[in-house]
Amino acid sequence: MRTFLYFLLFMFLAVAVTILAAILGYEGAWYFAWLIGTAMLVLISAAGGALLDAQEASAAEAGREQS
Amino acid sequence: MINGTVVDLSRVQFAATALYHFLFVPLTLGLAFLLAAMETVYVTTGKPIYKQMAQFWGKLFMINFALGVATGLTMEFQFGTNWSFYSGFIGDIFGAPLAIEGLMAFFMESTFVGLMVFGWERLSKGQHLAVTWLVAFAANLSALWILVANSFMQDPAGATFDPFTMRMQLTSFRKLIFSPDAQSKFVHTSIAGYVTAAVFVTGVSAFYLLRKRHIPLAKRSLRMAVLFGVLATIGVITLGDALGFVAGRVQPTKLAAMEGLWKSESAPMPFNLIAFPSQREQKDYDAVQVPDLLSLLVTHSLGGTVLGVDALERRAQRRIEQGIPAVQALHVLARDPTNAAALAQFDAHRRDLGYGFLLQRYAPNLSQATAAQVRAAARDTIPFVAAVFWSFRVMVGLGLLMLAFFVLAALYSLRDVVQNKRWFLRAAVWMIPVPFLANECGWLVAELGRQPWTVFDVLPTWMSASTHSVAYMVFSLIGFLGLYSIFIVIELYLLVRAIRHGPAEPGGSGAPQGGHAPLAGGAVPAAAYGNKAEG
Repeated sequence: MRTFLYFLLFMFLAVAVTILAAILGYEGAWYFAWLIGTAMLVLISAAGGALLDAQEASAAEAGREQS
Repeated sequence: MINGTVVDLSRVQFAATALYHFLFVPLTLGLAFLLAAMETVYVTTGKPIYKQMAQFWGKLFMINFALGVATGLTMEFQFGTNWSFYSGFIGDIFGAPLAIEGLMAFFMESTFVGLMVFGWERLSKGQHLAVTWLVAFAANLSALWILVANSFMQDPAGATFDPFTMRMQLTSFRKLIFSPDAQSKFVHTSIAGYVTAAVFVTGVSAFYLLRKRHIPLAKRSLRMAVLFGVLATIGVITLGDALGFVAGRVQPTKLAAMEGLWKSESAPMPFNLIAFPSQREQKDYDAVQVPDLLSLLVTHSLGGTVLGVDALERRAQRRIEQGIPAVQALHVLARDPTNAAALAQFDAHRRDLGYGFLLQRYAPNLSQATAAQVRAAARDTIPFVAAVFWSFRVMVGLGLLMLAFFVLAALYSLRDVVQNKRWFLRAAVWMIPVPFLANECGWLVAELGRQPWTVFDVLPTWMSASTHSVAYMVFSLIGFLGLYSIFIVIELYLLVRAIRHGPAEPGGSGAPQGGHAPLAGGAVPAAAYGNKAEG
């Protein structure tokens, strides 16, 4: 039942996003670009933080192997 | 007729309050999404360092947000107190987005800001993340409605003048919010806020790296900010180009002023890299030009042309002559709304009504207007070229500087060597004021370039103000300048104090730390700050 409710929620969100994209893509291309671009900026920024974690962990590992 | 000094003082007062307010707004717009990015990493990885980052930058966000609200509140009141004719003339249109901004975006933002600040211990991680994202969206939604209202002043789409009610009325809400000017202006301004926040976070993080304090937090904040910033700066430049393209179509006088373009020339037209425009002589001194570039930038074609001031003034003269019958018909309709001949005359010339109003400044009785008065009114349609020209160049120059800064910062950060580049870290601290200056210049280009109109081509500035006395305006202007200067000092004091104090260490008192962490890239054990102790 819980899975079904989640399925309904995500289906609703998917349909809402599709309708929003169709309207904004036609009437307001720059607004649409802002929505997509902002999400992309935040995710790339977040990925940058995670990448730094991985780089430091890898460097620390290399340091331990050398010693 | 309204005293010209009162109009000028009303303009100075609004400009001063808006420029003060616009020091705070962009940082709020961008920092909110950077907080969302930091907290997203915290929720997905569970590493407490990201929670510490979100809380620290959240504190700085709140200081800036509170003072942004305080400086913004008075501006909406100014429309009623200092610009009462303007408010009555276009209140039906202008009021709608401002009301939506207050009732929807600002209330949403304020409510969720409270949850964001006080909800760390009361909400689950997922709920708090959702709240932070909602704060970020609400802050930008607030900017959207303000900029929709502002865009109506630049490109009055979706409205028409009603000669019976004597004011503008909304005909299409869809055209109002989807006008090209509203779209490109919102995205340009919002992303300029992202750049501002990215430079701010990079600069403060660089300060910590220079002082060897809070190194894990500073390195992560810097990494996230520079990636955010490099992409946002590309976006700002792209949207700046789009705004220039829109201005070429809907505000050619603004574009001519931005480019110092006095004479119309054949394509391809050169771009004035540097020049010293003389409004009186209508020429540029000591111009350094790049061949063909203006056509390419403004029309995206080497064959495109841009109208110069000479052609625009001639066009304005024709529109002023066409606007005279519109204003005269309006006077008849004010006395007798059933006069069909007057209505027909008004409808035939309604497009140029605003130009008729422009002439009234020089010829209150339009039937006695002279050719010299028409020429003087036409000359008024050109904004203060030197101010627009140089504000534009400073804004663009600083934008390009920030792009170069972020590209270099991204290179150093991605190689994890930024903490060793002390010259760059020092430069990053000095970069902090740059986006604020660029934002102010952008505002000047947009609003000085709109003159002599409050609503472009529709309502001249000279007839928009309230009928206050000069003494009242001087008194209130001094009051605002004093109060807002105090706000700036408070903001700087609180920000500097919070930055010097630094982030609260997990489980610690939050007092500043000494330089105990190694600086060499990758030498900090991840386990020291990256464990998943917090659920």
